Amino acid sequence: MPSPSGSEKRPSSIHADMHGFLNRRSPYTILPTPTPEDVISQPGDIFFTDSPTQDQVSVIEACLRGLHDVPRAKGIFERLRSTRQGDPILEARMYNSFIEAYLEMAHREELNRPNWLEDAWALYNDMERGHEKVDPTPNTYALMLQAWLRYNPDSSRQPVYISGAEVHDPVSLLRNIIGRQISPALVVSDRAFTSNEEATEAIKALSKAAAEMGLASVVNELGLTEFLGKQIEDPLEDVPEVVPVMRPKKIEVVQHDDGRVTQLATDEPLPERAQGEVPFNLETLRRHLSQVVLARRVLSEDVAARQRLLEQSVYSVAVERMKHQAEMMDQLGLPSKGLQSNDLKSWMWEWHQKLQQRIKAEVENLIVEERILARMKRRSTKSEEILLSPFLRMLSPEKLSLITIMEMMNLHGSGGVQDGMKTARALLSVGRAVEAEHKAEICKKNNISIPVPAVNAPRAGVQNIFTGDGYKDLYARRVTAAKYMEDAEEWTSDWSQLIRVKVGSFLLDCIMDVATVSRTIQDPRTGEKFTEEQPAFSHSYEYQRGRKLGVIKFNPAVADRMSKDPIADTLHPRHLPMLVKPKPWLSYNNGGYLYSRSWAMRFKDSREQEIYLRHASEAGRLELVFAGLDVLGSTPWQINRRVFDVVLQVWNSGERFAKIPPAIPDEPEPVRPENMDTDNKAKVVYLERQRQWMQNKAANHSDRCSVNYKVEIARAFLGDTIYLPHNVDFRGRAYPIPPHLSHIGDDLSRGLLIFEEKKPLGTRGLRWLKIHLANLYGYDKASFDERVEYVHKHLEDIFDSADKPLEGRRWWTKADDPWQCLATCMELTSALRSPDPEAYECGLPVHQDGTCNGLQHYAALGGDAQGAAQVNLAAADRPSDVYTYVANMVEKQIEEDIKKDDPIAKLLEGKVSRKVVKQTVMTTVYGVTYVGARDQIERQLKDRGDIPAEMCWSASAYLAKNVLASIGDLFKGAKDIQNWLNLCARLIAKAIPQDRLVQSFTEPEKPNARSRKKEPRWKKEQMTSVVWTTPLGLPIVQPYRAVKRKQVMTSIQTVFISDPTSPSTVNAQKQASAFPPNFIHSLDATHMMLTALECRARGLTFASVHDSYWTHASSIDQMSEIIRDTFIALHSSDVLKGLYDEFRERYADYKIPLVSLRGNAFKKLNLAPEQLGLTSEDTKLLTEGVAEDEEMLDEDALALDEDEDELEALTEVEQEKPKKVVRKRGPRKIKSEADIEARLAGRFINLVDVLPPLPEKGKFDVKAIKESQYFFS
Amino acid sequence: MLSLRLHRLCARSRLQSLARTYSSQSSLPPLPPQEEWRKTFTYQTVARRDRVFVRTPQAARSIAQSLFTRTPAATDKGKVVIEAFPGPGALSRALLELPSSTVRKLIILEDDPTYLKFLEPLADADPRVTVVPMSGHKWDTYSHLDEHGLLDDVEACPWDATIPDLHFVSHLAHNVYGEQLVAQLFRSIPERAWLFKYGRVPMSIIMSEWVWSRLTAGPGTSRRCKLSVIAEATADIQDAFDPALVSPYEAHFYPPPAVYKKGLSRKPGQPMYGITAVPYVDQVIQKGMTDQWDYVLRRLFVLKSTVLKDAISSLAPGAVTLLKVLGDASLPRDQRVNVSKRIRELNVADWALIHRAFDAWPFKPQDLLIGDAFMPEE
Repeated sequence: MPSPSGSEKRPSSIHADMHGFLNRRSPYTILPTPTPEDVISQPGDIFFTDSPTQDQVSVIEACLRGLHDVPRAKGIFERLRSTRQGDPILEARMYNSFIEAYLEMAHREELNRPNWLEDAWALYNDMERGHEKVDPTPNTYALMLQAWLRYNPDSSRQPVYISGAEVHDPVSLLRNIIGRQISPALVVSDRAFTSNEEATEAIKALSKAAAEMGLASVVNELGLTEFLGKQIEDPLEDVPEVVPVMRPKKIEVVQHDDGRVTQLATDEPLPERAQGEVPFNLETLRRHLSQVVLARRVLSEDVAARQRLLEQSVYSVAVERMKHQAEMMDQLGLPSKGLQSNDLKSWMWEWHQKLQQRIKAEVENLIVEERILARMKRRSTKSEEILLSPFLRMLSPEKLSLITIMEMMNLHGSGGVQDGMKTARALLSVGRAVEAEHKAEICKKNNISIPVPAVNAPRAGVQNIFTGDGYKDLYARRVTAAKYMEDAEEWTSDWSQLIRVKVGSFLLDCIMDVATVSRTIQDPRTGEKFTEEQPAFSHSYEYQRGRKLGVIKFNPAVADRMSKDPIADTLHPRHLPMLVKPKPWLSYNNGGYLYSRSWAMRFKDSREQEIYLRHASEAGRLELVFAGLDVLGSTPWQINRRVFDVVLQVWNSGERFAKIPPAIPDEPEPVRPENMDTDNKAKVVYLERQRQWMQNKAANHSDRCSVNYKVEIARAFLGDTIYLPHNVDFRGRAYPIPPHLSHIGDDLSRGLLIFEEKKPLGTRGLRWLKIHLANLYGYDKASFDERVEYVHKHLEDIFDSADKPLEGRRWWTKADDPWQCLATCMELTSALRSPDPEAYECGLPVHQDGTCNGLQHYAALGGDAQGAAQVNLAAADRPSDVYTYVANMVEKQIEEDIKKDDPIAKLLEGKVSRKVVKQTVMTTVYGVTYVGARDQIERQLKDRGDIPAEMCWSASAYLAKNVLASIGDLFKGAKDIQNWLNLCARLIAKAIPQDRLVQSFTEPEKPNARSRKKEPRWKKEQMTSVVWTTPLGLPIVQPYRAVKRKQVMTSIQTVFISDPTSPSTVNAQKQASAFPPNFIHSLDATHMMLTALECRARGLTFASVHDSYWTHASSIDQMSEIIRDTFIALHSSDVLKGLYDEFRERYADYKIPLVSLRGNAFKKLNLAPEQLGLTSEDTKLLTEGVAEDEEMLDEDALALDEDEDELEALTEVEQEKPKKVVRKRGPRKIKSEADIEARLAGRFINLVDVLPPLPEKGKFDVKAIKESQYFFS
Repeated sequence: MLSLRLHRLCARSRLQSLARTYSSQSSLPPLPPQEEWRKTFTYQTVARRDRVFVRTPQAARSIAQSLFTRTPAATDKGKVVIEAFPGPGALSRALLELPSSTVRKLIILEDDPTYLKFLEPLADADPRVTVVPMSGHKWDTYSHLDEHGLLDDVEACPWDATIPDLHFVSHLAHNVYGEQLVAQLFRSIPERAWLFKYGRVPMSIIMSEWVWSRLTAGPGTSRRCKLSVIAEATADIQDAFDPALVSPYEAHFYPPPAVYKKGLSRKPGQPMYGITAVPYVDQVIQKGMTDQWDYVLRRLFVLKSTVLKDAISSLAPGAVTLLKVLGDASLPRDQRVNVSKRIRELNVADWALIHRAFDAWPFKPQDLLIGDAFMPEE
């Protein structure tokens, strides 16, 4: 019996070392807390580069690019080197870029040559001296070697004599190279060498030097290098057939830990002749080296070709397609061309024609303007003005035009704006896209060989990754690859938000001006036709929750096409699945797509998160997270052709069908009541219904657009094997990066996807396939046997669904998840009809879902037996369902109220399904508020459609109240832990690092600072966010801080942009309320990653949607065991204790102002006076204080254009509207308030002294879940 | 401080003389003494705190005295007065002190049980009074008046005839609902909806300086808004009483002023004004066009400091084309709009022309009811 109820002595399904790994003290990443913006001497500076610095670095890059203005770059660079020494932004690659630029200038300006060379050598010498903590890299040496070769005094070519800086000959350079343990092979193959001749010359020079120095091993290595460069890579591909085939040698090259490449073993001597015939080729050398250095197979060109093409040539392909379309139209002689046509692609082509001209002209204008401006301002060097033209010149006008058009199309309907987008987001997105494309171009130019993951096992290592050695091996391999990639890539800087916005606004301004469409309308009364040329995009302002927001809207004519035309062509490949396995995660910002920069984490506008991740990544603490993401990304998928055909048929019919919205909204418009004009009451009701109808219509349109994307993408990848690169959100939960079509999407997306690999079902697999079908249909509350029985009873329906999905009885359409149900019906039918059903090869993913997974983790954390039973941690004959339980409780209450003649209760009778309460029950665990619960329920009621629109609000208010009451103490155990987490977070958010506290007292007040606020300085110093480490070593940083936005004037609109580089005080309220859910999510994420790693180790295919784990039907039993064993391993490690210990260490030197401990929330601390060194009277003051003095933020201030991740919406805790502090006893109270302030002011206590003790753990033993069938089911 | 005290003294002397005139008639159940109000009429909840009403009998009298001077009853039968948001009824009592030749019937709309306790006795004391325990903010309430025949004795007058003997009197809540209400009442005028089915019913509304300054803001002023334009287009608006009579706030109104930030705000505590609005016979806004007017005003006032020619694209995609119509040189000067005016500088005549152009534009959006571009939040 392979199910979890099996024998006791069964060996664990997981690595035995996992327990040890999870029990170890995970290495914390501890960084200083960011300092307030107005602090001048900032120790945290090194970690938090500020925006002005970032801007200057971007200017440097823009000036260096194409040698646009090297002297200016040099000026900024020198200033930065003196003022911001040690800032990680000043990295070696940046120094190298300067050396390269100086050498280029030397090449270009013959008269000035000695000066430029002197600059180059001086900079090199500075690097060698090490004062600036920037070490030379292979690239540095390659450049200097080149400089020497070209201009050395003994050179026969162009000898240059330099007096101002020490010049190094190859011997000296080689000495330094060896001293830094850099492989000479990497130097001579560096991208600095662009011709084979120069590289050969470099090899010779270094070899000669090595010979002089008597370094035989180096001579050997260089000899080998030269030899590699002459190797034929792939005889089948590179050698023309007429040429006699030369057999390549079997070569084994060993790379040492220090990067040296040494040994070469050939099994037979190479024929002299062949050697002589193949000329040295730099490219060949590099490819070989990447192979060798990375110790893994490099992707063969043809497999990668399409992906490469997809990513590299996205804009040129797009333009080809648009052009093609336009030409087709011309040839067909369709009603005139371009704008007159009604086709998205033709329009885009027209816009592109005009836009690139416009951009070209505007950029030229700008260059002239800025040159004049620069001349006028030459004298004042106070601050480095950011000039735009260098950034715009980085890409051709053609590319800029395409990027702008495609980004605009892609932002359609984003940010909750119907048929439009928020201006701020549009500006940033276009700016970012330009930045990304520029970087991709650099990446392409350097032609880096991309490593790909080996076929099996996480990473190449076969070792157990949970052991010390296995982990180290994983680390070593990744670092080698990452280093190689980094060295090979030219330096580029990140742009600041300001530059992105400015670039974006420049381009948007152009497109809004030139892009037009011709719109025709028929007057419904007269039948007369009107045609007008209108702008394709227009901008205006809208009010959202009382705030004015800039938006850009699509012309209705364009918006209309968005739901109809093939739009997949408008997508950037970073929005599409990949055709090859994603690039493994080599560092926090390198992995996934081959050429588009992706990050391993989705930061929430928080530079702090990025810095923590970078540090953890550099310290080698994220190996398992990276490995886990690689596993998720390397699962091969296919489009389920049979389902796709049905989807397409439905889509083309334009009818409403199984969650596919109709092409023309089919809901009847509400009827205008007769007396509406005079009866305001009737009008209000009508307007509410009308509003609902319009919203539904708008939702229908946007659904239609979204399905359009899915169908189009599926069509484009029919027959391909596709991969979904993954990254994590800030809690560590994994998501596929492509947004439109992925298995994390809706039912339709999931129905369209199937594992590429097929596996025979077997007896158990067949059974699981049936259970899966019952689950999808919604029959998931019964025992497994009953579910199987259910499927047997409906076999007729299932066959009918598979055979005649549209013409038949359409049983599948009534399922909870119709499209996945259809896919399963088809698989099951094929299996049952095959001669041997158990041998049937099936690729359908079968799911195992946690039942209320958040509560499962709480129950396990607290050892809460009652909670454990509710959510199937304890074994039972039948699955227990919390949602139904609560729904029934509410129904009972409704019956009571009906007796009292409550009209709302009557309205709701029999309508409170499990579904209505499900989300609210689920999110209660995550601390949902009444307001949040009411909104959730209102949405559910509206979806039901059997409650009049104008009644939904009051009905949901009634229900929310009852649901929350019913949940009551059902979840007592979870509540204790929640409170503990909340209290800890509350304390941390109030804390101030000791050194900052000391400094803030000694620092002089800035005189010019507006001192109208009399609040104490420490309030500004409350900058500490809650940070913790998951058992996998991932640091989690809560991003919630006061929102500060800077106003940026652009030619289009004035927008407010948040600047992630200037941290503000923490939002204590949000830090506290969001911590419990975030913590639980970091645990479920860990559980998932562990399961993914183990599944891969056991050779199972794996995919996940948070707490829903997928694999082949035949592998379910194995996966079930792994799920249980990893859960047990995770929770056996006493997670809460670990968190407590971490807090004690992480916040050891943090102090809390006593004043901020007043209020109800802290009563729970039960602080003893002696503990605080206080009199009992002071303590009394503390605990009796009135409502807590939270620095409540104006809720509205938080609302502005938050770059919300839609996926967050489900579980992120809603923030309650700030409660008005009610002054109960009038002015007398205020006085005593001030008293308290005065008495406690200036007194601080240690955070760790007041951290509350852990809640007591219950008796439930997590090992019991081994016996629970329905834990995940 | 000195000037304030002087001011207060002056006001009091005048009020006292008025009080003497009517004090003999008053046999109405009294309100609790002022010093007990804090306890009796607590205002901790947001809803209560924004419900501002007259507190002293003197102030109430001086308001009641002036309310009907400009729109006297047509006959000596007196008026039917509907009073909304009376609070505990200081103004109601003052209205009842008026002779029945002025007020023949007083319908009080109030749904707060605490206040009702002090209103219901009025109905027992004076047969002219009907207390309807419903809110003046709900349209249901007015349907209720019809359904129960409370307005059966009001004779509907043709729009261009004299004004009917019906008068609406109300305090305005100091919050967004109050502002919504006043906007909706004015919007009901062109549609002849609500009480206006009886003809050009005068409305007397007591409001804060915040709302008053918006309602009465003329072209070019910084407070100019949608409400000002609609009010200016639909009704003749005059002061209902001299604001100096009820100044300062804390002496005459309840609840006490909220602590508020510098400058004008929505919060209670600022000077109070009263207006009486009598609908114009000739309405610029045609029946059935109110929603469209509302749309045009709303879309353009988003950019109220922008000149019309730049702001107009905010109306709808392609609306720039309307500029041609508005500035058409072939039209007589009074049919043209100066498109270089800022939105807040436009007068009603300008707005009428803009609206006409918009109405004639074939590409005007069809969905005028929903202005917001935002989808319901998921």
